[in-house]
Amino acid sequence: MAKDPGQRDLFAGALELMILHSLRLKPMHGYALVKHIKQVSDNLLQIEEGSLYPALQRMLKEGLLESKAGISAKGRPTRIYRLTAAGKRRLDREVSSFDRMLAGITRVLAVTEA
Amino acid sequence: MQWLKDLFTRGRHYRDLAVSIEEHLEERTEELMDEGMSREAAETVARREFGNVTLIQERSREVWQWPTLESIWADKRFALRQLIRAPGFTATAVLTLSLGIAVNATMFSMVSAFLLPHLPGRNPQNVVVVSSVSPHQRDANPVSPPNYLAWREDTRLFSEMAAADESRTASLTGDGEPETVRYATVSPNYFEVFGVSAALGRTFRAGEDEPGRDHVLILSHALWERRFGAERSAIGRTVRVNRENYVVVGVMPADFQLLGFAPQMWTPLVFSAANRTVEGRKQRFLFLFARLAHGITLQRAQAEMAVLAKHSETDFPAMESRWSAAVRTLGDFLIHSFGIRTALAVLMTAVSFVLLIACANVAGLLLTRAAGRRKELAIRVSLGASRVRVVRQLVTEGLVIAILGGGTGLLLTDIGIKILRANLSFNEAISAVPVSLDVNVLLFVLVVSLISATLSSLVPALKASHTDTNTGLKNESRTSSAGRSQGRLRTALVCGEIAFGLCLLIGTSLLIRGVFLLDHQKLGFSTDHLLTAAVALDRAQYSDGSHQLLFVRGLIRKLQQIPGAGDTAVASDLPATNPETVPIHIEGEADSRAGEQYSALDTVVSPGYFHAIRLPPLRGRTFRETDGENAPRVVLVNQEFANRYFQGRDPLGKRIQLDLQGAALPWGEIVGVVSNVKSYSEDARVDPEVYECFLQRPTAYFSILLRASAEPDSLSSALRHAVSQLDPELPLARVMSMQTVIERQRNGNPLFIRLLGTFGLLALVLAATGIYGLIAYSVSQRTHEIGIRVALGANRSDVLRMILSEGFRTAVIGSAIGLAMALPLPKLFDAIFAGLHFGAPEIYLIVLSAVLVVTAFAAYIPARRATYIDPTLALRDQ
Repeated sequence: MAKDPGQRDLFAGALELMILHSLRLKPMHGYALVKHIKQVSDNLLQIEEGSLYPALQRMLKEGLLESKAGISAKGRPTRIYRLTAAGKRRLDREVSSFDRMLAGITRVLAVTEA
Repeated sequence: MQWLKDLFTRGRHYRDLAVSIEEHLEERTEELMDEGMSREAAETVARREFGNVTLIQERSREVWQWPTLESIWADKRFALRQLIRAPGFTATAVLTLSLGIAVNATMFSMVSAFLLPHLPGRNPQNVVVVSSVSPHQRDANPVSPPNYLAWREDTRLFSEMAAADESRTASLTGDGEPETVRYATVSPNYFEVFGVSAALGRTFRAGEDEPGRDHVLILSHALWERRFGAERSAIGRTVRVNRENYVVVGVMPADFQLLGFAPQMWTPLVFSAANRTVEGRKQRFLFLFARLAHGITLQRAQAEMAVLAKHSETDFPAMESRWSAAVRTLGDFLIHSFGIRTALAVLMTAVSFVLLIACANVAGLLLTRAAGRRKELAIRVSLGASRVRVVRQLVTEGLVIAILGGGTGLLLTDIGIKILRANLSFNEAISAVPVSLDVNVLLFVLVVSLISATLSSLVPALKASHTDTNTGLKNESRTSSAGRSQGRLRTALVCGEIAFGLCLLIGTSLLIRGVFLLDHQKLGFSTDHLLTAAVALDRAQYSDGSHQLLFVRGLIRKLQQIPGAGDTAVASDLPATNPETVPIHIEGEADSRAGEQYSALDTVVSPGYFHAIRLPPLRGRTFRETDGENAPRVVLVNQEFANRYFQGRDPLGKRIQLDLQGAALPWGEIVGVVSNVKSYSEDARVDPEVYECFLQRPTAYFSILLRASAEPDSLSSALRHAVSQLDPELPLARVMSMQTVIERQRNGNPLFIRLLGTFGLLALVLAATGIYGLIAYSVSQRTHEIGIRVALGANRSDVLRMILSEGFRTAVIGSAIGLAMALPLPKLFDAIFAGLHFGAPEIYLIVLSAVLVVTAFAAYIPARRATYIDPTLALRDQ
């Protein structure tokens, strides 16, 4: 479980944001989600299973996701997670707030540069 | 209701989660295999990357749970499973604890009934009782009528104030057998003070305390049920009280009861002219019940009443000198006047010791188990369980034991209270107190169970949680005897058990011996084969001495005709029942010596008395039939009187005078000396006593003594018959044998002794099993070591000595602590229980040896077992 020093800790809510976004593209099962995020981020972001599964459960409970029985890429039974309408709304909200935050940070950094 | 849905759907979520994680691992494994790893290596890597599967699963599941509550629940389930797997351990622990809890709860039911009494009426916390404080600081004395009348006028402290004479007896006749009932005369506003109204009919009206309007009567619920068949038509009926007609106007509700006072009916309190005079100040017989006015505190009432009492003292120095007044809340007053607090405190202390010993036993058991589970705990800690989690798990186990113990204890308490109630009937006041398994007792059991759980499991749990993972896993019994600190804790527990057990046993033995000696003291007369009964001649029929004497002469004649009846007599007081003390004057001498006023007990007896109770004269003669009204006045004195007031001189022929409430009787000549009778059967004291002759000074209140050739009780119906032939309306009270009279005077003493004895024994048994258990465990832990010792040449007696000396060392330390704790007990008891003797150093020795013998025995059984350890088996073991 040793961490690659090149990776950094995610900020609060980042994991949720990524899960929501990834699942919006297409419903996935757990491992697929991990691989997807890893690939898309070019290995810069690595999700820890230790946080992924509890986060999935939390989002299930909040009604952002729903799960149903499905078949994995290897043809074995697994659970596929899918975004609900509430999940989509949450994603939009989170993205806009993330954008605002990013904009804010960028501005602050810009001031320091100058 | 989301949580409810979660509760039912989460099983599915758990399954989904497990499937997801499994697939996760599986896919990763296959991926790695695709990269060329062997299946085995791939699985290992996949798992390592994933992390602690169980932990992650647990975290994920927690989303659906109330984490703390649920993990406690899970702990509880786990604990239950663990306990079921060790039924012997569980049964011992639960039984031990339930015994400890049950004795505590049973005693607490008395505390709840007597010290937290039910108070009747509306806002009973505002009801107070005003009483007199005597010059000797014995407060809670009654108040005189003039003081009541003056205080009622002079103070605005109370919105309502009523007086009651709570301890009267009356003959109730008409409709069935005449009977004597206890009743109270009360001011008309008495019931308003408490704020209770009648269950049926009405309470008294203002003005019904005036002569002529006062012949109204209120019944207690019990009397109404018993004598009037609970009929509504009882209201308006006329009954005869002391041969006068009274109209029943009301029935009080069943729960209108003041602890310790048990009047069966109420009539209005009417003051005579004499009550209102200055002389009336001497007659203190009223308790004043009052309701505090709005905004008045108890402290203020106390201060102002003290000032009012001071005024009385200034105005009437002869009567009120150094008398004062006290104000108490109703509850406080009732508890105080019942006087059961100290006995209950002693009993509660005793049972709390029993509980401590029980907790020590359970702690020992848990410690033993924890030691056996060291490895399991070490594994759990190394697998990521936090220390808090381990402690919680172990405390939960203690809690489960305590709850099981509490439940079982509650069942035992129910039985205990039933037994207690059966034994709590030695007087009317006690049997009127509802001792039951009430809410207070339930709460008490809950609290005590929780405390026991904490006491018995926290220390072993903390101990166990400090298990070092490394040594815990390494520390196989092959390489070690019991860990050092475990051993120390065990020794401390055994020491504690011995110390508390010893202290409790010494305390109970001292008390039991003191009370037993008192209950079995020689009273100085023959109590067997005596039937007694109390008579109160009323004014209506027997207005003066000559009428009373006429009745008694006729009565004695009649009684002597009863077949099987021997000597017959009447006496103002039965022997050893605390007759009145009066001041005396001896002719030709000062009235006091060294500041002490001469006084003596005064008993009026008929001539047959001394023969009937088998009290022979030591000198001179006893009374004769010829010592009548017109004969010279004669008296008898007891040995103590002669010794104290004549000191070797001959008392015969000397003349003394008795001073009855200010009115001196004529001088009487001492014509005989009789041997001593104890003043009171429950007191070792013998006081100087004077006997007067009934023929010369008849009294209206007296007791009949009848010596029977057979069982005295067999004559009681003949006695009743004889009395009713003389006067059909005259009730006989307290018809019982002299031995019953004495037994009743013992009050709760026999019960007190039995309870203490039971607790002492229980403590000894519990401590013994605890000590046995702990030493047996220590031996079983050392099997290996002992095996080595035997293999190296130690013989059986060496092994025996080794184990015994370990037990003995502990016993000596424990006993020393216990003795030190018990040393101040006699002093303490002397202060609490006046009149008992606790100076008995031999008790310490006897109890100490008994405890040592029991300890030695408890240690000997496992020690002997140790000597039979076969070295080859012991070393091969494990």
